[in-house]
Amino acid sequence: MADSADVHSLDGPRGPKPRKKLSRRNIILYGTLFVVAVYYLIPLYVMLVTSVKGMPEIRMGNIFSLPLEITFEPWVKAWSQACTGLNCDGLSRGFWNSVKITVPSVVISIAIASINGYALANWRFKGANLFFTVLIFGAFIPYQIMLYPLVIILRDLGLYTKLPGLIMIHSIFGMPILTLLFRNYFTSIPEELFKAARVDGAGFWGIYFRVMMPMSLPIFVVAIILQVTGIWNDFLFGVIYTKPANYPMTVQLNNIVNSVQGVKEYNVNMAATLLTGLVPLAVYFISGKLFVRGIAAGAVKG
Amino acid sequence: MPKQALPERFFIGSILLAFVMLVLATVGIKSQILENAQFLILLPSLLLVIWMGVKTGRLEIFTNRLRKYATGWLIAALTSAMVWSFAQKGTQLALPILKDLRKVWNTFEPFALFATAVFILFCLVLLVIGTRDSDLERPGYIESSLVNNLSSKIAAVPMAFTAFGIFIMATLWTVYHSFTNSRLLPKSELIGFGQYERLWSSDRWYVSIENLAIFGVGSLVFSLTIGFMLAALLDQKTRFENTFRTIFLYPFALSFIITGLIWQWILNPDHGVQKVVRSLGFDNFVFNPLYNADIVIYGVLIAALWQGTGFIMCLMLAGLRGIDQEIWMAARVDGIPMWKTYLRIVIPMMRPVFITTLVIISAGIIKVYDLIVAQTSGGPGLASEVPAKYVFDYMFGHQNLAQGFAGSTMMLVSVLIVLIPLAYLGFGRRKHG
Repeated sequence: MADSADVHSLDGPRGPKPRKKLSRRNIILYGTLFVVAVYYLIPLYVMLVTSVKGMPEIRMGNIFSLPLEITFEPWVKAWSQACTGLNCDGLSRGFWNSVKITVPSVVISIAIASINGYALANWRFKGANLFFTVLIFGAFIPYQIMLYPLVIILRDLGLYTKLPGLIMIHSIFGMPILTLLFRNYFTSIPEELFKAARVDGAGFWGIYFRVMMPMSLPIFVVAIILQVTGIWNDFLFGVIYTKPANYPMTVQLNNIVNSVQGVKEYNVNMAATLLTGLVPLAVYFISGKLFVRGIAAGAVKG
Repeated sequence: MPKQALPERFFIGSILLAFVMLVLATVGIKSQILENAQFLILLPSLLLVIWMGVKTGRLEIFTNRLRKYATGWLIAALTSAMVWSFAQKGTQLALPILKDLRKVWNTFEPFALFATAVFILFCLVLLVIGTRDSDLERPGYIESSLVNNLSSKIAAVPMAFTAFGIFIMATLWTVYHSFTNSRLLPKSELIGFGQYERLWSSDRWYVSIENLAIFGVGSLVFSLTIGFMLAALLDQKTRFENTFRTIFLYPFALSFIITGLIWQWILNPDHGVQKVVRSLGFDNFVFNPLYNADIVIYGVLIAALWQGTGFIMCLMLAGLRGIDQEIWMAARVDGIPMWKTYLRIVIPMMRPVFITTLVIISAGIIKVYDLIVAQTSGGPGLASEVPAKYVFDYMFGHQNLAQGFAGSTMMLVSVLIVLIPLAYLGFGRRKHG
């Protein structure tokens, strides 16, 4: 679909008043972009094509060729029968685990981070900057150095290998970047609004719920996008803080594809990979510009 | 005023000190001594409160302007006393529901006990100070710490807890235990630099460092150049800019696991690129980076660049859009060729964007783990090991905790070495601009 749109761009420049001198430049420009775009799309194409071929065709043929006959069996198998080495009920279990992990983590981390960002932007207190610096610093410390102490904390709380424990971990590690995002956004809201609400007698929570939250829906959407893709795609925390029955989808996908036993079924593997990628891809394609805005705002503004 | 504030500062200071001891005791360093010492330190604060109260000579609870805050702290003290009581055997026998969360209550027991003591002290001190200063207009030190802007401080508790209780404490804990001989379980006797000597004499660690260096330099150079060039191409008032950007950025929405698995498949020598080129007639064509120990890391690099360059492009594009359009006019009037304008004017102007990007890329490079696990599992042999995987394997696979801690401490040190100068550059710039 996207390809056909790009082919049109090669028909020739159709901008306002195309000058002849520029046409060679445009061919180079669009040619390069087109080639790069094809390169970026190839893996997705290969994944899709492989996942609907039968195994004999994969062994004989070419990974780039279109399938001779389309079969959806690999998709069914990846969803409900693929083996991870421990159990053979496919990715469905991991999918539901991931849903159970992602939804609460997103809600909790955004609730905490938005209030923190609001306190930091509008109700500064002594020492607030120190907290914030340490928090941001925490975003850059390699997670590896905090992994084991967190295992101990979770074990003490009796949450190790359970889903609530992993939700807690995601909420903690989502906090730095989200707090930064919200703080920057709330700082950009004109202070007069805040002062007016103060004069009208609203307190800390009143201003947050009645003024700030309704005004900052876009940033909430951006935060949701960031967190859903981030938590869905997480592997490290999932593999450490849960047990096989609670593995999220990414961990299960890796176990299915990289399991050593049995004959490798490449079509099932690719179907499983695509299935796991569907959620973040859907978020990405639906949210479009907000996704770009989110990652750009979260990164450049700091 | 400063004279009056002195005991108040001492009060707050000793409570903070007691809290640090409590945290150290919880973390497991000399637990028994520190656990007792925290209450010993709270004792002088109590004496101080009594002394201040005696010196004031009266305790007018009902005309006290801090009264309602004192009530608040009293309620907080009762709440934490309740949590403490949940951890006691008697309460748990009486209320069987509590038993399910036994472990949680037991963990919070010392904190709850401490909080009860401290909150009661806060309540007392508010009464005393409030009475003493009731004719003063200006709030004292205690008043500003315990009363002003209180909702905001309470709202910031999760942040403070995460920043100090988790990030800082967990980091210090790991660094401390990297100097021990912990194997299956963490031990606290120090053994000096033994783990680090072992680390640096291990071949596997050297391979990891070497791979990280190649991977790091490669991804820095290529993602910055490719990202910038793509951004510059899209910034020429290009049509279909959104389509192109969507295509370049979609891999960034996919996880490293998925990226690794796709490229494992494309680079598969029996089915992937190598086979396709051979079937075109080039029978001796060899391209199997994932099965050749010398170049396996470049195979991983290809996948990483595919995944991340779109993001760098977006950052660069945002930077380019932030540049004043008049620059282009001025350059054109002066007859400066476009590439020269980019090189000499635009790139220097985008310095802050480049620094941010550099920080983001470097922080990502050191953490790279999932990609390796999915694409090569560290193989062939140990050829594509990286430090993050070394650390993970020693901590959770080989039952050699301290070795993993030493490795992760080295990772932290390298992050600090990279980040501190960059942060300095970034902040230095901001002060001037």
